[in-house]
Amino acid sequence: MDVVLGIRLKDCTLIATSKSVTRGISVLKEDDDKTRILNEHNLIAFTGEAGDTVQFAEYIQANIQLYSMRENDIELSPKATASFVRNQLATSLRTRKPYQVNVLIGGFDTKTGKPTLNYIDYIGTQAILPYAAHGYAAFYCMSLLDKHYRPEMELNDGLKLLEMSIKELQTRMPMDFKGVIVKVIDKEGIRKIDV
Amino acid sequence: MNTIASQFNNNNRNHVHHEINESNGGYGGVDKLELTPTMTLPPISQPTDFLRAHTDDATNPDCKIKIAHGTTTLAFRYKKGIVIAVDSRASQGNWTASQTVHKVIRINPMLLGTMAGGAADCQYWETWLGTQCRLHELREKERISVAAASKILSNLIYEYKGMGLSMGTMICGFTKKEGPTVYYVDSDGTRLKGDLFCVGSGQTFAYGVLDSEYKWDLTEEEALYLGKRSILAAAHRDAYSGGTVNLYHITEEGWTYHGNYDVGDLFWEVKSQEKSFNNVDG
Amino acid sequence: MSGYDSALSIFSPDGHVFQVEYASEAVKRGTCAVGVKGKECVVLGCEKRTTLKLQDPRITPSKICKIDKHALLAFAGLNADARILVDKARVEAQSHRLTLEDSVTIEYLTKYIAGVQQKYTQSGGVRPFGIATIIAGFDSNDTVPKLYQTEPSGVYNAWKAHAIGRSSKTVKEFLEKNYVDELSDEETIKLTVKSLLEVVQTGAKNIEISVLKAGDVIKQLTVDEIKTYVDEIESEKAAEAEKKKPKSKD
Repeated sequence: MDVVLGIRLKDCTLIATSKSVTRGISVLKEDDDKTRILNEHNLIAFTGEAGDTVQFAEYIQANIQLYSMRENDIELSPKATASFVRNQLATSLRTRKPYQVNVLIGGFDTKTGKPTLNYIDYIGTQAILPYAAHGYAAFYCMSLLDKHYRPEMELNDGLKLLEMSIKELQTRMPMDFKGVIVKVIDKEGIRKIDV
Repeated sequence: MNTIASQFNNNNRNHVHHEINESNGGYGGVDKLELTPTMTLPPISQPTDFLRAHTDDATNPDCKIKIAHGTTTLAFRYKKGIVIAVDSRASQGNWTASQTVHKVIRINPMLLGTMAGGAADCQYWETWLGTQCRLHELREKERISVAAASKILSNLIYEYKGMGLSMGTMICGFTKKEGPTVYYVDSDGTRLKGDLFCVGSGQTFAYGVLDSEYKWDLTEEEALYLGKRSILAAAHRDAYSGGTVNLYHITEEGWTYHGNYDVGDLFWEVKSQEKSFNNVDG
Repeated sequence: MSGYDSALSIFSPDGHVFQVEYASEAVKRGTCAVGVKGKECVVLGCEKRTTLKLQDPRITPSKICKIDKHALLAFAGLNADARILVDKARVEAQSHRLTLEDSVTIEYLTKYIAGVQQKYTQSGGVRPFGIATIIAGFDSNDTVPKLYQTEPSGVYNAWKAHAIGRSSKTVKEFLEKNYVDELSDEETIKLTVKSLLEVVQTGAKNIEISVLKAGDVIKQLTVDEIKTYVDEIESEKAAEAEKKKPKSKD
């Protein structure tokens, strides 16, 4: 029941992930970070099968960084990053033991100066969206975002919208997901925001 | 046999590894040191299904092989170090197979691992982890970090994911760089860093006591007592936990063993001193 | 041909592995590379092969390669061989981060590269890497500069200052004479440039310099920056020569 939410705003992308890790009937951790930094302007947020998630994200992280090292510090664009991740998942799907991981990739394209949000699921579906969510969070938040989201929103409006979504989840979801970690991706890079 | 074995040889999952293995072994006439020992599989077409059919007592109560499951183990870090406390009962189904199992595995003088789930799996792989840590030490002239040690184990476990491994373990150690550190590693491949974990069928009971009294600034004596008391709570309420409590403490100097306490005696001692357990007469 | 250098890397009766020795010859023919440790930095410098008229110097690959955020490698010998080795090192650096949750130490990286080079002296159907490398950098959370060198045989050493490649003997002798401990950043760069000028005639445009500092700071000097050092060194040399002149006339 992890919450993974992403909202693309006017000049940045917001990514929020729930902090709890549960196994069986116990909450094992309440300050977990379900994101990994891929490069200076790309952040991956993940949910799915225990074990697969972190293995996959860190594997992607290592490969993206290896690319930068090999190609003279060239940074992979959000589009290229998303295509790479999608391809990895699609390839994995046709193996004996596919990665069961769904991800959001928040990015900022330094060439076009535009923020992007990529939705990719374990089957290999990829979509560029203004806002996206995985898991149960999607059921509650998508309608809310359909109603309140505006493409020209600035960071502050975005944070308010996010707060609204989280509040809805906290009211209606049967489980406490221990709040969220919020990260912003903009032209300055990636940073955590206290909420 | 090797054709069967090769489909379970999961090495190529990790592509970076794969690339390295290629670069290591591509041309080499010299044998490379395998990260994992290879194993010969039983002569059956689907070992995973076979194992599931014969060991999964949740779906098949009559299954022939019962893996020891009931346990309570805990580890928490605090100002002065780490406390590890475990019970000692091994149960296979409803049968208590042993009351004197040592569920703390001494990986090396600085690292301890706890044992929940399959006793053999934990014992074997954590001992194996000890050999890997020693090799790291010899090669790098530096003690391995707890992060790296726990990751070696979790990567190994992940390679075997879905093949019937059953482990829930805490890898605990103290290094200069990291301070007191506890990692939770289980057979799903999950690996979590944290302050406090309880694992096993009695985990909820242990959490109950531990969460209520835990704070960062405990004294060593308080911390050890809290660990012991939490296991006692689980041993009391969980039918599959019991026997004795084994206590360990880890500081920068390494681990020290703080004794073995029979739950039967401990219970009455605690009851009279704490004036707790008022649901029990006497 | 004695027969001991034909197909495989095998010993000759007097204990030589000729293929490895030939690889070292290839290194000696490669352009020169220098590494110098300062108090708080390591400087790598190398001689750039004279670019042909139509070659684009801007995008011709450099002889100083980044292995990871905190480590550089300079080589002398066969460029094409180096590319393979550098890529192996980069993969290892990332893999190390992935599995150990820590960046490689410079010593580990050196040992790995030397290990790969060694393997190619003892395997069938391969030839050794025709390169020597200088590896420089800082370990994570550390301010001690590190400088290592590896050879085609797989031997590796740590140095305060070292040179490999064409006329490296001259450069090494120069460094032995002029190296002092605890050099400042400026002095380290200057010593590197000066040592290179011992063997590079064409000056700044054929020199490449990279400076490493603790905390993943890597700076590549521009041709103009190098030129200021070259000019400074040359004017110093001229001044010295001027001083000597009257004496010789006496």
